[in-house]
Amino acid sequence: MTTAKPNQRGSSHNLMRKETIVSYLFLLPALLFFIGFVLLPMGLGLYTSFFNYTMKNPVSADTFVGLRHYIDLFGNPAFLQAVRNTVFLVIVTVPAVTLFSLWVSSFIYRIHAGLRSVFRIIFYLPVVTGTVAVVVVWKWIFHEYYGVLNYLLKSGGVIEKNISWLGSSTWAIWCIILIMFTTYVGQPIVLYVAALGNVDPSLIEAAKVDGATDMQVFWKIKWAQVMPTTLYIMVITTINTFQCFSLVQLLTRGGPSGSTNTVMYMLYETAFNLYDYGYANAMGVILAIMIGILSAMQFKVMSKEVSY
Amino acid sequence: MNKLKKSSPYNILTMLALILLALSFLFPLYWIITGSFKSQMVAVSATPAWFPLEPTVDNYIRLFKNPAVKWLTNTVFVSLASMVLVLLTASLAGYTLAKKRFYGRAFVFALIIASMALPKQVVLVPLVRIMDFLKLSDNPWAVILPTVGWPFGIFLMKQFSESIPNEVLESARIDGAGELRTFVSIVTPIIKPAFGALGIFTFINTWNDYFLQLIMLRSRANLTISLGIATLQSEYATNYGLQMAGAALGSIPIILIFIFFQKYFTQGITMGAVKG
Amino acid sequence: MKKLALALAGTMVALSVAACGGTTATTTQGSAAGTTAKPAETTKAAETTKAPENTTAEAAKVELTWWVPPTFIQDKDAPAGTYEQQLVDAFTAENPNITIKVETIDFTTASEKITAAIEGGNAADILFDAPGRIIEYGKNGKLVPLGDMFTDEFVQDVGNDAMLSACMGNGEYYMYPLSASPFYMAINKDMWEASGAMEHVNLEGDRSWTTDDFEQAIIKLEAAGYNPGVLFCSGQGGDQGTRAFINNLYSSNTVNADRTAYAFDSENGIKALTKAQEWLDAGTLGNGVAYNGGGSIELFVAGTTSFETCWGTSAAGNNAATMEAAGVTPISLPFPSDDGKAELEYLVNGLCIFDNGDAAKADAAKLFIKWLADQTEAVTRTGAFPVMQSMGNLYPGDEEKALLSEFTKMYGPYYNTMDGFANMRAQWYGMLQKLHEGADPATIAKEAVTAANAGMNP
Repeated sequence: MTTAKPNQRGSSHNLMRKETIVSYLFLLPALLFFIGFVLLPMGLGLYTSFFNYTMKNPVSADTFVGLRHYIDLFGNPAFLQAVRNTVFLVIVTVPAVTLFSLWVSSFIYRIHAGLRSVFRIIFYLPVVTGTVAVVVVWKWIFHEYYGVLNYLLKSGGVIEKNISWLGSSTWAIWCIILIMFTTYVGQPIVLYVAALGNVDPSLIEAAKVDGATDMQVFWKIKWAQVMPTTLYIMVITTINTFQCFSLVQLLTRGGPSGSTNTVMYMLYETAFNLYDYGYANAMGVILAIMIGILSAMQFKVMSKEVSY
Repeated sequence: MNKLKKSSPYNILTMLALILLALSFLFPLYWIITGSFKSQMVAVSATPAWFPLEPTVDNYIRLFKNPAVKWLTNTVFVSLASMVLVLLTASLAGYTLAKKRFYGRAFVFALIIASMALPKQVVLVPLVRIMDFLKLSDNPWAVILPTVGWPFGIFLMKQFSESIPNEVLESARIDGAGELRTFVSIVTPIIKPAFGALGIFTFINTWNDYFLQLIMLRSRANLTISLGIATLQSEYATNYGLQMAGAALGSIPIILIFIFFQKYFTQGITMGAVKG
Repeated sequence: MKKLALALAGTMVALSVAACGGTTATTTQGSAAGTTAKPAETTKAAETTKAPENTTAEAAKVELTWWVPPTFIQDKDAPAGTYEQQLVDAFTAENPNITIKVETIDFTTASEKITAAIEGGNAADILFDAPGRIIEYGKNGKLVPLGDMFTDEFVQDVGNDAMLSACMGNGEYYMYPLSASPFYMAINKDMWEASGAMEHVNLEGDRSWTTDDFEQAIIKLEAAGYNPGVLFCSGQGGDQGTRAFINNLYSSNTVNADRTAYAFDSENGIKALTKAQEWLDAGTLGNGVAYNGGGSIELFVAGTTSFETCWGTSAAGNNAATMEAAGVTPISLPFPSDDGKAELEYLVNGLCIFDNGDAAKADAAKLFIKWLADQTEAVTRTGAFPVMQSMGNLYPGDEEKALLSEFTKMYGPYYNTMDGFANMRAQWYGMLQKLHEGADPATIAKEAVTAANAGMNP
């Protein structure tokens, strides 16, 4: 029941205190869930990463190992490989997704609204279909003997013998990238179409009057105008790629020879198949730090470009 | 909006390329649906059957001998409950963060932003423990609660709520409206599109989530459709047709929902990201 | 509400006292034949002579959960869990005070799920599985020791030290065995006949054959254009098939003689890996990096590949319909070896009880698993051989089973209960994956064994 005058808003201590109480009451439901199921487990994860916590050993003074897990991790070739793979996925996927969706959007934003919407839906479908459904069908498509891919390539004369796509340490990661790509471009296309639609037409007209070519218009005006969107897309794609788990778990289980192992998948394996919880939690902390640093960097850049 | 220059060769080529790409994006879905009507013998033939010439419904019969209906209802329940709770908690919190000035605001918001970037999977082992402590393991709520805790919704709602004109809130204040009434009768109508967007977003994401469900749910009767499809991959050989039937059952309802609510969805994505 | 809780707690205490008395008395219980005479209405307290009268059926309700992976062969088209439910219903009819909830779990995620549940402290009461994982849980102190169930009579009836030691970890029994069956290999009859490879196969007696025979055969198969069986090594499951295949080639072993360390990097082990690599390069053995045991079986039963190194009664039973549709006739064979004397790996099906800190439940669970192991149909539903010799031949007139019982004489040392088994499996598959990529067999074998042994004492 606030009756304060609008012009006093925020200026009076009393009012601020009152607002604080109301605010926290409003925040309470969300904060309960957030603290209980996000912050608390994160804290526990960090804490237990300093213990030799396994199925047999509980967390106790006897099992405290300090930073040993972290030191071990940096000497563990399998972990380093998983880090390299994860970074590789990011390096390939993020630009590919960004450029592809920009290209598609720069074309479809200009076409008939109905058609545009059809394209948008189609490119979004793999996201909606759901990871498990998408993976099981791709697994079949990639199958060495029963897969459509080998059949097409063979009948097209591109290959002579069936290739075991998922069984090759060269190809398996590209299979993952391909599926990732199809499930990641949906959202960026929606974003770009909207952003390009918002570009002020008078800017473009003015440039054209000045004799700019289509290409110049695109890079000088549109590209600059959609920059915030590009950054946002890069951030979400990076985070999504870092968290890639289901694809690996359902498709390759990290093989062949660890070539598709990601930090996320290794963490899961370590915890649930090797029963080494403390070690797994240490991996989680490192992953969190990696993502944290990257996101912080990108958020910083973004906050300069976009006013939230 | 400038119109396409008709019949420029670049435009025609691009259009053709896009159509081809669109078809290849549709192919997995086509393969799921047609595959679900193929017998195992057809599915594993070296020459793929582009269309099931001798369609069989055996796969669906076998699918429903599994508790597939239960999996579907479990999925609907988890998705709906998550959606409702997310909408409730996030709209209140988002509005507060956007429009209220209070002690600790910057800190709370920073915490939310920071944790949004962190991978959910990091909290895996502790989360299992917490759910057990709450006696919720192998229970749909073990999936719902962490989904609600994830702060993306708060972030999105905050972005939306920024656009609420301060004058409207202040005139409500002058009229003597209480905080809750202001929220219900002033704020909610303004951010209505956000409800649609966040709601459908949460619903679809929860429907298609795999990781949390994998960790939290165990017994066959409690599985969701995502997990159900994954378990159809048995130890002794995959039955492709059966698996595709499962995939179709899991994805077609959600695809229909998506197409139906498409407008809200795209609105939500764009408004949340580009400008609040 | 409070009263109810008190009453419940009271009966729990009463029951656990009764049950504790009961377990020692089970010593006098007969084995297979004896228990079939169990009257339907006896409660578990009544069954044991010492039990006091206070545990009546209504006072001692116990509810158990039982996790079962799809091992039991179901009636045609019945979903997983159907037969298990029948079993449980029959048991509850005899023991009305004990109800059991069947939860079927799947193989692909079983390990992770069980771990999550154990970690959360809410494992089921009873788990049906193989020793590999069970003993690992036992060693980690998660299971109820079952020493009291291994009566002299039972031990004598089993009469097989290897089998008994498979149920043991750190000198304590943790698994109550039900049935066992060998893992062996299978070939596609038509393909082998058509390519002339069949002339290298011995179909007499126990069908022993040599590595040379096998090599001649796969060369012919390749020349005739048939896809070779794959050396699968993806994910999890079925790895025992590849270990038996590789280690039989030159009579090497996965573990050392006294089972204290992993030793597949022996001279002969490396020789076998080198041979396998040679076959992989020649295309006479298939690239299996994309497949786990199940994926490999899938290829074989659909008539895509010509032989399978991960074969067993369960795989054969569950794929009978597919093979019929695909026109595949499998022939079971032991693995080829240089000296013609194969050592086979084998599966032991059994049950264990999780220690959920409730003695009453543990005792009810013991009663159930004892009852289950005495059901001959439960044995035949696993397609395997009973561990209790007193059950006799459960498959009279079945030629295939007669052959397999010859295979049971070839059982090699059982190492699935050794420390670090889970880690060794991962190392083994990792090694095979590198073998596919042309890595030096000696180097990768040494690496894998070092890592496997390092994992023994974490």
